[in-house]
Amino acid sequence: MNALSPSWVAQPTVEVRTVSKWFGQKVAVSDLTCAFGPGITGLLGPNGAGKTTLLRLLVGLLSPSDGEIRVLGRDPRRNPDVYRSLALVPEEDAVYGFQTARQFAAYAAVLSGAGSEAVEQAIATVELGDAADRPISGFSKGMRQRAKVAAALVTDAPLLVLDEPLNGTDPVQRAHLIGVFRRLAAEGRTVIVSSHVLAEVERMADRVLAMVDGKLAAAGDVAAIRQAMTDIPYRVRLEADEPRPLAAALLDAAVVDSVAVAGRILTVETGDLAGLGATVAPLARSLGLRLSLFEPEDLSLESVFRYLVRGR
Amino acid sequence: MKPFVALVAGTLRQQLGGRRLLLLLLLGLVPAAVLGVLLADQRTVIGARQAFHEAPLVILFFVVLPVASLVFGSGALGDERRDATLSFILLRPLPRSLLAAAKLLGAWLAAFAVVGVGAAAMAVVLGVRSGDWSPLGPLLLGTALSCLAYVSVFLVLGYLTARAVLVGLLYVFVWETSMTGTIPSLASVSLMRIGLSAYAGLVPIGRVYIEDILGVVQPGAGGAALKAAVVAIVAVGMVTLLLRHRDIA
Repeated sequence: MNALSPSWVAQPTVEVRTVSKWFGQKVAVSDLTCAFGPGITGLLGPNGAGKTTLLRLLVGLLSPSDGEIRVLGRDPRRNPDVYRSLALVPEEDAVYGFQTARQFAAYAAVLSGAGSEAVEQAIATVELGDAADRPISGFSKGMRQRAKVAAALVTDAPLLVLDEPLNGTDPVQRAHLIGVFRRLAAEGRTVIVSSHVLAEVERMADRVLAMVDGKLAAAGDVAAIRQAMTDIPYRVRLEADEPRPLAAALLDAAVVDSVAVAGRILTVETGDLAGLGATVAPLARSLGLRLSLFEPEDLSLESVFRYLVRGR
Repeated sequence: MKPFVALVAGTLRQQLGGRRLLLLLLLGLVPAAVLGVLLADQRTVIGARQAFHEAPLVILFFVVLPVASLVFGSGALGDERRDATLSFILLRPLPRSLLAAAKLLGAWLAAFAVVGVGAAAMAVVLGVRSGDWSPLGPLLLGTALSCLAYVSVFLVLGYLTARAVLVGLLYVFVWETSMTGTIPSLASVSLMRIGLSAYAGLVPIGRVYIEDILGVVQPGAGGAALKAAVVAIVAVGMVTLLLRHRDIA
């Protein structure tokens, strides 16, 4: 694997080489090779894609059935010292309900050898100051998430692994946490964030790894992934006053893969966006139809991801 | 040292919270209550001693001690696993042996907080009613040693299986209570008898009563302490290995 591969990075802090993980007959991660470096990498995939298993492998909670993982050059299963440089926000509600948020963060700090000033800073960063001395058991889901993030931040680790960290947060909290993660990444940290919410990953991540069925389906930035998937048809919405004759004519055009009609709207799939543009206007004119819309659907991560999932 | 103390304190707080502590403390006081009833009609020191070593001692060693040890021993790591907080303590730059030892110490202190109160209450009832305070120290030592041995085994069990309480109860009531009591040669591998041996070594008259009811014990506080220490060291070693090599699903 080299730095030119989109699943790899030039200066990796985390290296995953041909890693597989199976539980009995179930293969959770299959022959995965990828790397993570400074900046935010979004790990994307539907439920059951293997994201959490991969993150647990990265932090050493699971051992690979096959392959090798290196975190900052070391095997996390054999070197607890790695945890000076690594912090995890787990997906589960892994908090001690009997503690306050401040006690929870302080507990993490003591176990990691961090000072008490780091606790106050972390509490302030996640904006839990007003609730810091209340028991976590009374917190909302979003507040518990922030308490977990605070406990991860006290270690000042250069590598942060965040498993669905925005679950349960409201839009304001979400925007704030995304800002926090982006700032941490800008400081040169490696931030790995898993999510199944595509819009969040798009807002957060500089780079995306998409997983489907335990395998890497795509890697790169959103535009690069889209570019790499040259066989993904572009979807274009057209509106015409008489859609059916236009749909029939388009189906005969070489650049068109499929056409769906809903009312006056046609959704056309094509592998050649420019070719479709050059074809559709003369075609409409020749049929005496009025074309009022030509709109390629957003090249969002969601559309790429939908294609990746559908294709398997 | 600070992480070790924090882990022990965290374990104590985790284990001693809620209604569980209240229920176990009430259970722990049952032997003292039974002794109080038995001593109501006793006028002699010998009769009081005999009553002390009958039902109350049996309830303390056969029920209170294993149940409290099972709850706190299996819960020390089992609760962390169930509540998904295990990663919180595992992903720290700490030797796995330190984690294991801290969890054992925390669970032992929690279990002994309940059993020790029960044992002390029993000895106090005897002392107040008969003036014989001699069993107090030996009984605390004996229960502490058996607690340590039990908690050590249940700590491993709690990490290995989510059904630790069920498996532990079967172990206590089938192996410890029935098998080692009826087959004398098995007495030396009974965790409960570690504490009884220590007690009998320090209260020789107690041995007579104990053997009448509970079967063979080999008196000796030193040997009992050594056995309990060995069981604890082996348990810490096993948990250390498990924490290093077992997946945390």
